[in-house]
Amino acid sequence: MTPLPSDPVMMDSFLDDYYAECDEHMTAIRRNVLDLEASLGKAPLNMSGVEELFRSFHTIKGLSGMVGLKDAEHLSHRIENFLNALRGKKATLSPATLDTLIAGINLLEKVMEAHKSKSTPPSIQDMTRRLEELLPAEENDSPQPQAARRVPEPETSAEARPHGGATWIFEFQPSPELAERGINVNRIRSRLEGFGKIIKASPQMLPSGGVAFEFVVSAAGRDEPPAEWSKDGLTFFREEGQKAPEGSPDRVASSESPAAAGPDVGSITSTGISPVNIVRVDLARLDEMMRLVGELVISRARLEDGLDRLETEVSAAGLRPLQEADLAMGRQLRDLREAVMRVRMVPVGEIFNRMQFVVRDVARENRKQVRLELAGQETEIDKLIVERMMDPLLHLVRNAIGHGLEGPEERLSQGKTAEGRLTLRAAAAGDTVVLEVEDDGAGMDCQKIAEQAKRQGMVARSEKPDEKDILDILCTSGFSTRSEADLTSGRGVGLAVVRNAVEELGGTMEMTTAPGKGTNFVMRLPLTLAIADALIVSVGDQTFAVPQAVIHEVIEIPKETVTVLENNEIIPYRGGVLPLIRLARFFHLPQEPGRSLYGMVVGTGPSGAVLVVDKIVGRREIVVRATTDPLLAVPGVAGATELGDGRVVLILDTAKLKAEAGGKR
Amino acid sequence: MRNKSQASGVLENKEVFMEKMQHYILFALAGTTYAVPSAEVQQMDMVEQITPVPNAPAAVEGVVFLRGQVIPAVNLRVRFGFPKVDYDLKTRLIVVRKGNRSVGLIVDTAREFVSIPDAAIEPPPEGISNLSGRYLAGIATVGERLVLLLNCDEVINPADMAAVASQDAKIQEGEDHEK
Repeated sequence: MTPLPSDPVMMDSFLDDYYAECDEHMTAIRRNVLDLEASLGKAPLNMSGVEELFRSFHTIKGLSGMVGLKDAEHLSHRIENFLNALRGKKATLSPATLDTLIAGINLLEKVMEAHKSKSTPPSIQDMTRRLEELLPAEENDSPQPQAARRVPEPETSAEARPHGGATWIFEFQPSPELAERGINVNRIRSRLEGFGKIIKASPQMLPSGGVAFEFVVSAAGRDEPPAEWSKDGLTFFREEGQKAPEGSPDRVASSESPAAAGPDVGSITSTGISPVNIVRVDLARLDEMMRLVGELVISRARLEDGLDRLETEVSAAGLRPLQEADLAMGRQLRDLREAVMRVRMVPVGEIFNRMQFVVRDVARENRKQVRLELAGQETEIDKLIVERMMDPLLHLVRNAIGHGLEGPEERLSQGKTAEGRLTLRAAAAGDTVVLEVEDDGAGMDCQKIAEQAKRQGMVARSEKPDEKDILDILCTSGFSTRSEADLTSGRGVGLAVVRNAVEELGGTMEMTTAPGKGTNFVMRLPLTLAIADALIVSVGDQTFAVPQAVIHEVIEIPKETVTVLENNEIIPYRGGVLPLIRLARFFHLPQEPGRSLYGMVVGTGPSGAVLVVDKIVGRREIVVRATTDPLLAVPGVAGATELGDGRVVLILDTAKLKAEAGGKR
Repeated sequence: MRNKSQASGVLENKEVFMEKMQHYILFALAGTTYAVPSAEVQQMDMVEQITPVPNAPAAVEGVVFLRGQVIPAVNLRVRFGFPKVDYDLKTRLIVVRKGNRSVGLIVDTAREFVSIPDAAIEPPPEGISNLSGRYLAGIATVGERLVLLLNCDEVINPADMAAVASQDAKIQEGEDHEK
């Protein structure tokens, strides 16, 4: 079969649609499989879950056939066959078959990823054989799926269709001309959704080699579709022989998604949102919107500056309407910014669900028993941050199971449960999101790691290393835990990668650990990247912006409270002490002597510090521009921003500043 | 690769009569005329506000905003070891683009746009000491003038600028050691 649209541009957008659609289905599949696993052996098989799975694979099969991705088509075909047997009670679901199913799903995902990244696809031979072995003999169809012909349509039995209105069959044939007018499958789909309920949508190959989409739509009313639709590549006719049978008239009013409209077998556990209200948007377009909002923020800051200057020339009464308008605009801008941000937000649960799969695999590899607990899945976070955090979280989860949690026997001998606990937690806290990966495993012996570091030639910062020092050691490239420390406490693998990723996103990472009790990694991430509230501070003749999210408190430091300890300066703070980091000294700027100092408290507990500046100038909403050029790779500087008066100021990276200044102390 | 270069060799032969030309922007620095290929120049501006970046390499004067992007501004006088002078009305910022980097170069003045035939360009003489020689892609004679062709890649190379900075820091600080 030749993949369809010959025009490469169209083919690309076609493929993008394919990946996006498959991705959605895979998300639903993961959710459903995990539900099945949770209820396995405890409750009768949730048939509606199986049904939904079946549909998802069926769709993926059809779509994969259309884009010519044979491996994905075959794999999903095999899985679909198995699910079909399950539906017909010709096969049963056991832990072993579920494992095969999950392995098949993982492989399917790899196949699609390989296609997307144009890398070598994994072999599917073993897996197709394993999947076939799950089937009872007579169910096993050896011929290849024929996506070129019309796919069988087991998902729509007559009684599943809502009754009352008329059933229409639409056929849509996309073409470059239509695409130019903005008419594509998704557009048609949403148009049809306005007309009635889409019972079934399936792609088809035309004899001419083109592609068409068939939609079966159940219209609530009796109206004919508008005639001008035929100009948009749509042909339609009323399906004959669909007389409204008696009974169940209420179904028409049901607004459930097509998937949920199936026969009521078992309970419907799906929490999926009905696809009707969802619009897929390219992240790049959202970035563009965010950029525009950023420009608006700067323009408004300019306006405000101009108004301030007018104060001496214009009467207060004359100025007031302008100032009020300016304030209103400020509020509206803030709302607009939040609205755009909300569009970019996705629930963290999405990656947590993926982790569940990883946990299963890694637990098996390491012969560990793991109970995964999730909390705060509904916490929303910027899509980009979610994507960037995927790998770091993977690292942490792998580490926690591989090195953190002990094996069942060892756990039992220590009076713990055989099953180790791994908790993924998310919570929103003001302008930040906190992600935690916690285990109740062996924990780390800080003293041992410090000794190990010493042996490897690293200089110990203090005699009694705290958790922050240990994290620094673990994150040092070249620090190896491959020795006795590994057996009791080692955990270093890839931690540097994790911390770098977090810090690149403007976040911070902390760790708490206790030998025998477990380890907790806490990552604080900004809610969004582009715009932030910041304090504007001045040091010497320079002005800097400090993201407000990282500042706990602004304090005035009376000179007499500063204690000098060798190269350190410390001040008492809430019953403890905090070290001072003088920005003037750090940046080699002239310091104004003899005045009282201002400090910003950043970080908590042992990693807390006070950044000392000359003056706090004010608070601003700033648009963060990263400084990416290697010439500007200066520790402590994260980016730059333009203030309303046109001045460009540097944005400080407090995490790096602390680390750097700490290292020099 | 070989095929390709052979092919372009043939092309050059055919164009011998047309004299293969490239466009350059000429600028002056400490009394010498330099040239940078105009294809590598993104834009040219008056020097307005430059925000200093503390602890950056000495030649990095600071950052400027350019179409929503923050780019470094390198003082070419410092880069080449000439004494610094105050900016005046003739001072220019030439923004060169290399790969995905944009870097501003601060020069004494720049206003000419010339075409130089490839044939008029000679490699930099062997005698030039290795450091400054690296910054040059060649030497050309335009009319009566000797023009030094800039090797932008080397000029904006962060590797040896960082070295300059740490030397500089040592001189300034004395006791401040790296980590």
